[in-house]
Amino acid sequence: MNASALFASLLLAYAGMLGFCLGKERHWKQLVNPRVPTWLRRLCAPLGGLLLGLAIYASCQVWPGGMAVVGWFGLISLAGFALLLLLPYAPRLAVSLPLLGGLVWAAAALT
Amino acid sequence: MKGSLTQSMSWLHTWCGLLLGWMLFAIFLTGTLAVFDKEINWWMQPELTDQALSPAAAANVAQRWLAERHPGETNWNISLPTARAPDLAVSVGERRRGGGGSGVIHLDPLSGEKIEPRETIGGNFFFHFHYTLHLPRTLGVWAVGFAAMAMLVALISGIIIHKKIFKEFFTFRPAKGQRSWLDAHNASAVLLLPFHLMITYTGLAIFFLLYMPAAVNALYDGDRQAYFRDGQSGQAAEQAPRGEGRASKAVSAPAAPLRPLSEIVSQAEAHYGQGMIGSLAVSNPGRANAQVTARPVLGNRIELTKGEGMLFDGVSGKLIQAPEPSRTSQLTQRVLAGLHFAQFGGYPMRWLYFICGLISCAMIGTGLVLYAVKQRKQAKANLHFLRVVESLNVAVVAGLLLACITLLWGNRLLPAELAARQDWELRLFFGVWALSWLHGWLRKPLSAWREQLMAAALLAISLPVLDLWSAQGTLDVMRLSLLASVASMGLLLGWTVWKVPTVIAARNARSARLGRPAAGASS
Amino acid sequence: MTRSAIQSRSAWPAIAARTALALLGGYAFTYAFTAALARLLPLDPVDAVTAASLLSFVVYLVFMLWVFAAASLRRVLVGVGLTVPLAAIGFWPQLMEVLR
Repeated sequence: MNASALFASLLLAYAGMLGFCLGKERHWKQLVNPRVPTWLRRLCAPLGGLLLGLAIYASCQVWPGGMAVVGWFGLISLAGFALLLLLPYAPRLAVSLPLLGGLVWAAAALT
Repeated sequence: MKGSLTQSMSWLHTWCGLLLGWMLFAIFLTGTLAVFDKEINWWMQPELTDQALSPAAAANVAQRWLAERHPGETNWNISLPTARAPDLAVSVGERRRGGGGSGVIHLDPLSGEKIEPRETIGGNFFFHFHYTLHLPRTLGVWAVGFAAMAMLVALISGIIIHKKIFKEFFTFRPAKGQRSWLDAHNASAVLLLPFHLMITYTGLAIFFLLYMPAAVNALYDGDRQAYFRDGQSGQAAEQAPRGEGRASKAVSAPAAPLRPLSEIVSQAEAHYGQGMIGSLAVSNPGRANAQVTARPVLGNRIELTKGEGMLFDGVSGKLIQAPEPSRTSQLTQRVLAGLHFAQFGGYPMRWLYFICGLISCAMIGTGLVLYAVKQRKQAKANLHFLRVVESLNVAVVAGLLLACITLLWGNRLLPAELAARQDWELRLFFGVWALSWLHGWLRKPLSAWREQLMAAALLAISLPVLDLWSAQGTLDVMRLSLLASVASMGLLLGWTVWKVPTVIAARNARSARLGRPAAGASS
Repeated sequence: MTRSAIQSRSAWPAIAARTALALLGGYAFTYAFTAALARLLPLDPVDAVTAASLLSFVVYLVFMLWVFAAASLRRVLVGVGLTVPLAAIGFWPQLMEVLR
């Protein structure tokens, strides 16, 4: 079982959902520093979609064929749910998780 | 008439969800547990050990034992050790359903001797309860099907009435009483919508002919066997759908030695993959017309291929019949069934299904509680009905959780040699569940919830302690994983139950300071 | 159902009627619809049976939602009434046998 790809798939799913989340005005205001230009907000949702697409690719490295799609649906749902729980309790962690996770993944991939 | 649609769907969602919600929670919780049914089975029979013997070698051990003790039988069935169920078991005569009961004999793969693990209802209990609610089979299947249709109604009506479905996609505002319950209910429903729709629909697709026999009645005059025969391609039609049991009645063929079964297993593994042979069914062993059907462990594909197998000649070991690719329509139905059974994709997929299942339970549970919380605030609520609802909520959600963990505890506490042990396990399970309803009726809602959930959490956290202390069998990776998972979930549950009073107290204090009554305070 | 229908004290007969029509009428409608669909689909019998039967759950679901959303009880009765012609289409050969 390709653990690295599974972890990557989960991270990408989360990052994608975060993108959709930040694309909404309510959450942008809640999570993003006011100094960041607001036109960037409109990039978030498309970027999120792109990341979800990459998540399917990663998912295909974990499971064959149709199973990858099933797994992907599960991963994006659970990633979205995790994001939902983090937002009220640990908003800074919610936003920085993709970066932190990415560092862990890169470190694991390089060793 | 938009306004009217929302109102009618809102009414429908509330009543459908409430009245069937209790059944649905039980179905979803036991279904979620059934994802790990084989692992739970393994844990509940600690006398069994994983000898890490190859299935081929294990097949020979079984063959030797059966040839010594049951040479004259017309049917042998051998359950080979697999990744999720590393035990070796045999039975003779007609194939029978279910495990852990009489008729199945466990063998030690190394010594070839009989082992007698404790009789237990095992993880299979959760699986069986999930689709029958412990009712007689047909009635149970229909009841669950009815609940499944109600679930679909609740899902679609819920989508129709959720105006801000995209706006509130990631919205969860905790510690705000009714608002929080609604947020939790909406979020767990919307974020997992693909899962909910898929799992409910595919559940119905499994028993589709039982639920809707109209088409078979119209086109085949109700002859289901004819439909199944048409569904099989070419040569497969000659083979009986359930394989063995073609006990050759008067045809007594001359005696001929049965091929070593390890050879047949190896041949089958070449097709299905190593370690992927789940069982062997031998008909007429020791005779010239002996046949062996090698059945695969499910998991290489989504399609549910239960009952499929490779047919070999028992004397020559030659392949007679290989499984053929399914017809499109049959493939579709089997893929749908396979999506529900979740036997594919290995442990990562299994865990995805498990966690999604738990969140589904949370969706149903928050919905039930939301109704009670909302009603408590209404001036013209029917208080007697509300009491019934509140006590049922506790009993079905917290009580069932408590009963499930008690079953695991009971497995270690009930003596292994106890007569009618399975009946005692059932009594324990249903007894605790019944008591939880009584407790819910007598206590105030919040107290009942806290006490039952905390009891369940404590039992879950201390399960590893019980297991290690009672030292009733070898603790291998699978059993340790189960203990770790149960204990972790117990910790999470316990922590949540611990935090709730502080959250409520803080909210009450905040509202008191502002001179307002707290929302949903009496929950 | 309109709000007034739900809130009025005499709502129970209307609710009971809609519920019965949705559950029982809906099943009857779905049964007939599935048989008719299976007969009309230009596929091999085994494939037609499988396709129609698997689709039946969606049909039943939509019908039930419609029963509760429909503006009047009369419309619902008309809908349930469609069961008869659909059953005739679905069970055409069996009907011929009986009439012979």
